[in-house]
Amino acid sequence: MNEAGSQPHGLVHHRLLLAGIGGQGVIFATRLLARTAAAMGLPVLASETHGMTQRGGSVLAHLKLGGSKAPLIRWGTADVLLAFDRDEALRNLPFLRSGGAAFINAADELPSQVVLALRSRAIQAHCLPATQLAMALGSSAVANVVLIGYAAAHPSFPIPLERIREALAQLGQELNLRALQAGVGAAPGARAEGRRAMARAAGT
Amino acid sequence: MSVEMLLGNEAIALGLVEHGCRVATAYPGTPSSEILAGVVKYKKQLQRSVHAEWSTNEKVAFEVALAASWSGLRAAVAMKQVGLNVAADPLFSSAYTGVVGGFLVIPADDPGPHSSQTEQDSRLMALNAKVPVFDPSTPEEARLMVERAFALSEELGLPVMLRPTTRLCHALQSMEVAADFGQDPPMPEARFRKDPVHWTATPKLRHRLHGELNAKLRQVEEVFESSDLNLVVDGDSDCRLGVIASGVAFHTAQEALQELGVKVPILKIGTPYPLPRKLVQAFTQRLEAVVVLEEPDACIELQLPDRRHVRGRLDGLVPGAGELSPEIVAAVLAEALIQAGFKVQPPPDDPVLQALVGSLNLPVRRPRLCPGCSHRSAFFALKREFGPRAIYPGDIGCYTLGTNLRAVDTFVDMGAAVSMADGLYQAGRLVGEDRPIIATIGDSTFLHSGIPPLINAVHTGSRFVLVILDNHTTAMTGFQPTAEAGYLADGSRADRAVSIPDLVRACGVNFVRVTDPYNQDSFRAIVRQAYVHSQAPEGGVAVVVANRPCVLYDASPLQQEPIPVVVTEDCDGCRYCLEAFECPALVLSADGSRVDVDETLCVNCGQCIDACFKGFILPRAMLEEVAPL
Repeated sequence: MNEAGSQPHGLVHHRLLLAGIGGQGVIFATRLLARTAAAMGLPVLASETHGMTQRGGSVLAHLKLGGSKAPLIRWGTADVLLAFDRDEALRNLPFLRSGGAAFINAADELPSQVVLALRSRAIQAHCLPATQLAMALGSSAVANVVLIGYAAAHPSFPIPLERIREALAQLGQELNLRALQAGVGAAPGARAEGRRAMARAAGT
Repeated sequence: MSVEMLLGNEAIALGLVEHGCRVATAYPGTPSSEILAGVVKYKKQLQRSVHAEWSTNEKVAFEVALAASWSGLRAAVAMKQVGLNVAADPLFSSAYTGVVGGFLVIPADDPGPHSSQTEQDSRLMALNAKVPVFDPSTPEEARLMVERAFALSEELGLPVMLRPTTRLCHALQSMEVAADFGQDPPMPEARFRKDPVHWTATPKLRHRLHGELNAKLRQVEEVFESSDLNLVVDGDSDCRLGVIASGVAFHTAQEALQELGVKVPILKIGTPYPLPRKLVQAFTQRLEAVVVLEEPDACIELQLPDRRHVRGRLDGLVPGAGELSPEIVAAVLAEALIQAGFKVQPPPDDPVLQALVGSLNLPVRRPRLCPGCSHRSAFFALKREFGPRAIYPGDIGCYTLGTNLRAVDTFVDMGAAVSMADGLYQAGRLVGEDRPIIATIGDSTFLHSGIPPLINAVHTGSRFVLVILDNHTTAMTGFQPTAEAGYLADGSRADRAVSIPDLVRACGVNFVRVTDPYNQDSFRAIVRQAYVHSQAPEGGVAVVVANRPCVLYDASPLQQEPIPVVVTEDCDGCRYCLEAFECPALVLSADGSRVDVDETLCVNCGQCIDACFKGFILPRAMLEEVAPL
């Protein structure tokens, strides 16, 4: 029932899941993407986790674009998983539909049996050491924005990178824009630039 | 008009402010806390004259708002669902007396539960109290329902409940918001008018008021029969199975039915109490099976006049506990549909992938106290001083997480640490047991409902140590000011701040000490003195105020005196600090041979120095001094 994959920037339903642990800025990332999509005229519904779970526990946010009024994404139907932590990525992989994509803040690749399982479901999983890249920029706190940049540079991501950049610019934090760019630079299309960024990260 | 993203709680707040609410009160509690914060935001943005306050507890909040309604102003009170228990007395009473200005009771329910001690259904509380209920399904609808509920409340002179749930409170939805709301309309000609028949009704009059209330409820039901908040989504005309759903579950059910590939008629109920029975009867009479989906319990289902073909929580089709997740709703509907002879699409779940992920044994991340949290220092010191034999009654707040450190043995509800300590002492005395009883309670919780049990314990001669963990704010729910703070809900200055030590002394406690738990040695010495006092012939309850601001609320003391630490090469990975101190910034190295400091999380509080009894965690400054040798 989800025809979103082939036409990422059209006015169709998209389901994004954001996963991490308390303190990683999952809610900031969710609100940034939600605001960006709303500014494009898309009906947006997001679901956040508050309270006890913010004290270092697992945090999950559901983001639905295109007019759904049910706040939660069902297992097996998410188009995109943005995971700010490797374990939380693995935990939430069953939310992805066949043909979906995961963007994961991870220094190591996923376990081989998981990679194989994802491949057989045509799910792409992209890992990026976003925390290291963020620390090279001076703050691990912007790892979430690095990962968003990395994901948004990918053609399957439903929200255009330029719109995210505009929304981020309105917040007036220059570090966020640099973090976004670091993520973009590390994306497959800019692999050479990404390697340079990672080399810079390793050098500091 | 512009499109803005509003949390469900903010949508409710905007609804309140744009529809003339003049007094809004609340006690913070997840998932409700952003409602009053939103009222403050929108009263400033819309330039409306509104009194918004964080009250001492929900009962106080309820009565302050109720009095404003009796004075003729529109008023609202917000809380989490268990807060409505605290405010149950005025809820029931005010249904009889009625109200003047529109009066909304907004308890946020927590199906799951995500951050509550129960999954109770506030709609059933309203049914018991005979108060009409609106049950919104989206943030936008909640905003609309505020307007409808105010109008109904004023028309019939009744308190009205607007009941959101966690998923609505914390859903963020795009909606149209006027760019300009115009000027604040003039304050209504509202004055408190004496009316002994209502405002001081004696039991005899109450009997009459009860009859009037029943008559009003019949009128409300008539209003709800034709309300556009209740609607039918048509299915296939020959479909003999139907769904009745309310709240968020309505939209979840719609998506699930789409996914299952069947067109089933759905009756959406926006006003579950009193149930518009004629409307429901008209919907169900041609059906052979009706599935009821509502959260968190069975409010609509219990009121259905014709129960012959009803499937729901009462017959076990719908699980009796937990949230109605999309997976559960789809499974419930699939089961009912298959039993009724329908063919459904297979679910998109991937059990093989789920099993694979399950086999990875991923760590379960339980919530933990933050790095630098002074509660951890207090719990660690208490545990070292009194050991595992002591009993540690705890309470509701961040410091409930003291259970991870095994320094919290009980929690029941707000304020129970004090009365449980009292009862544990009395029970122990009867059976001749003399285990130390060391209770902990937060500052906001103590002010909320810790004072009456403290008076009780003093008066009845109980003997225990009460540690008030005063971090200067209501931290768990997002830093709302307490009566101790020097400011009010809207940020303006409070003329008076209440002193907790003075209150404790006024309750008759003779041993009161205020100390900083960061100084663990002197904190331990003082709690020991407190225990000695509690056991002395002339002693009694002893109170220690552990005074240190929450690190997230006020980081300045830490910034002034940072104590960076190092774990020395001698660390042998014994894990004592990880288990007994449990700071997220202390982590086991990849090979498990030692503990390292995660510099991205560490806040340089230096508190873990005491957590290594072998002396392998040291202030960096000390190491730098000895390095040249």
